[in-house]
Amino acid sequence: MTMMEKSRAIESVWPDIVKAEGAEPSFQAGDEIKISMRFPVGHYRVPTYIRGKHGRVEAVVEPAAINNEDEGFGRNAGVKRHYYRIAIPLCELWPGYAGAKNDGLRIEVFETWLERS
Amino acid sequence: MTPTENLVKRLPTEMGGLDAGPLQRVEHEYAPWEKRCHALANVLDIHKIVNTEEKRRGIAALGSEMVEKLTYYQRWIVAFANILFEKRILAPEELARKMNEVAARHSATSKC
Amino acid sequence: MSTHAQAHTPVPDAGDAMPSYYEIMETAVRELLVEKELIGAGEIRQMLEVMDTRTPALGSKIVARAWVDPEFRTRLLANGRATLEELGIDFFENTQLIVLENTDKVHNLVVCTLCSCYPREILGLPPDWYKMKPYRARAVKEPRAVLAEFGTVIPDDVEIRVSDSTSMIRFLVLPERPEGTENFTEEQLAALVTRDAMIGVVKASAPGKEKSR
Repeated sequence: MTMMEKSRAIESVWPDIVKAEGAEPSFQAGDEIKISMRFPVGHYRVPTYIRGKHGRVEAVVEPAAINNEDEGFGRNAGVKRHYYRIAIPLCELWPGYAGAKNDGLRIEVFETWLERS
Repeated sequence: MTPTENLVKRLPTEMGGLDAGPLQRVEHEYAPWEKRCHALANVLDIHKIVNTEEKRRGIAALGSEMVEKLTYYQRWIVAFANILFEKRILAPEELARKMNEVAARHSATSKC
Repeated sequence: MSTHAQAHTPVPDAGDAMPSYYEIMETAVRELLVEKELIGAGEIRQMLEVMDTRTPALGSKIVARAWVDPEFRTRLLANGRATLEELGIDFFENTQLIVLENTDKVHNLVVCTLCSCYPREILGLPPDWYKMKPYRARAVKEPRAVLAEFGTVIPDDVEIRVSDSTSMIRFLVLPERPEGTENFTEEQLAALVTRDAMIGVVKASAPGKEKSR
């Protein structure tokens, strides 16, 4: 069953359940996304070379987890959201990329860094 | 844009995409203290005294000169000291005194 | 990035040689934490014992098992950590493992551009080159050139996938099984799988050409 089918199946049995914030992933495999452009001071887990780049969600990482950028400053609680395994072609990242056009990056990115593209 | 912004925007520990020369195919056998330092990191993370992400942040906070010039586990132990001070788990004076005590054990036993 | 691996001389931990400033610091931090009962007296030693059992030999066995057992391979690719926990291989904290399958169409390699994430529960401690600037800078930008420096040439019709580790997920490359090994035992197969093949910078060794790493 896909995540959607599973959700629908559960909702049909327990229609009154409201899930906690962040429990449902905002993106699904196949979604076209863009990595946000912003510059946190002091700690980040999204490399600068992918900021603002376009990619595709390859997979949702389960279960939802704490934002590792907050963890860097000792926060180990808060709303859990999902990480996503993102595929980005290397020719999207590097102008004049000399390898094969199918060559790509795979990288895990936290939900707060993804925008619909 | 001021030229120094890039020092803040890009952590000194981030390497992706930078210009770099040929691979340095070096390996060394880890010294016992380096392995103990790694074990310490694991134990601190398990106890949630210093988690892995805090360690990473602490290493970057050493700044570009130390990140470049200290070796891998040297960076770890200095970062741990700083983080433990920030968390008020250790104090600088107590660590300094303990370090003198540890060093003195070796002076006491070394032959002249 | 540091060239410490050239300057560094491994120092035995015994005798009258004065430990380095950093070794003194490590000892002092550890002793203070034990005195304050924040960590147990034997915990570091116990952790060292755990660490000593995680070496590339463990990874090689896992790869060999995946080569001979299709059902194990399927489960391993679906959930690396859960499948290995069944074999008694435990993982720290919330670490996950994704096993990346190399095929005749896809070649995977692994890097950590932000720090030095590595599947230590399986392979032990990483080699210095994995943690140094040239590999970490270039693996995501020119993987084919990096692979060529390892003597690995991947044809253009094979897709290269570089996994940059940024989260709780760690990666183990499952190399292609070499030709001419149909009758090999698991032990013979494991001998063909080097640490570097499980990072993805080389292929598994051909029969008769086993390498030490």
